[in-house]
Amino acid sequence: MDNNKVLALNIKTATLGKQPHLPGDLAMWFFILAELTVFAIFFLGFAVTRQLYPDMFLRGQAYLHPVAGGINTIALISSSCLVALSLNAIKQLRRDYAAALLGGAMLMASVYLGVKSWEYSQLLHLGFGLSTNTYFTLYFFITAFHFMHVILGMIILGFMAVKTKNGGYQGASLSGFEAGACYWHMVDLVWIILFPLLYVIN
Amino acid sequence: MVNHQGLILRVYLYLIILTLTSAYIGSIDNVYLQGMEGVAVTGILTLTLLKGLQIVDVYMELKQAPRLWRNLLRAYVVLLPFTIGMIYILF
Repeated sequence: MDNNKVLALNIKTATLGKQPHLPGDLAMWFFILAELTVFAIFFLGFAVTRQLYPDMFLRGQAYLHPVAGGINTIALISSSCLVALSLNAIKQLRRDYAAALLGGAMLMASVYLGVKSWEYSQLLHLGFGLSTNTYFTLYFFITAFHFMHVILGMIILGFMAVKTKNGGYQGASLSGFEAGACYWHMVDLVWIILFPLLYVIN
Repeated sequence: MVNHQGLILRVYLYLIILTLTSAYIGSIDNVYLQGMEGVAVTGILTLTLLKGLQIVDVYMELKQAPRLWRNLLRAYVVLLPFTIGMIYILF
């Protein structure tokens, strides 16, 4: 290779900087894609069924609490922000701060679980359940499926927080941390699409 | 290592503002929309799409990921609201 080609290659490498990096690990990404696919099928099924039974869906939606949905959205967005800040902190070698941020994220997730549980209790008290009609079957099924993902996400965040506090990610690869963080962002992403479907579009 | 705290917080503010905006659009009484319901639905789903893109690019850090993965997730957050919008508006 002549000197001009070597020089051009060095300039190109310096300009491009780092190689592309997929955060986390491949197994987690396949899991995330699988979950997103399942939720996409649910969302599309909800949308199609809504067009088939518009009156039923409008009547059912009237019993939901948009403010509760809004609080849940802000709680999950806040927790996602805290997880992103936590990953940023651990890259800055600030492990105690990173662990505290993960604790904050879990607190926000608890707010979501609390508000969602309250919503369920209100609807169950009014006599609505999985077998009431197609609308409530879809509502309870989709939101409960998401609820379980939030619980799993909290367990993952808890594990990450403990490991971070104990210095488990210090000097080691962050792929485990990134994988857990990406799973949590997936949970948030799903709710961001679900919120307008259930509460906003009427 | 570059500190992305400012970017993360700006995206957070952006997500909150978009959420409140879509909630506001959804709260507008149909009487005032007068046949513009399709526009409102499009607006709400567009805001959802924009929020999703920020989560994919910034929070999931896929902006620096191999193009295949980035485009896969971006396609999801674009095509899903778009398809839902088509179902709501056309049928």
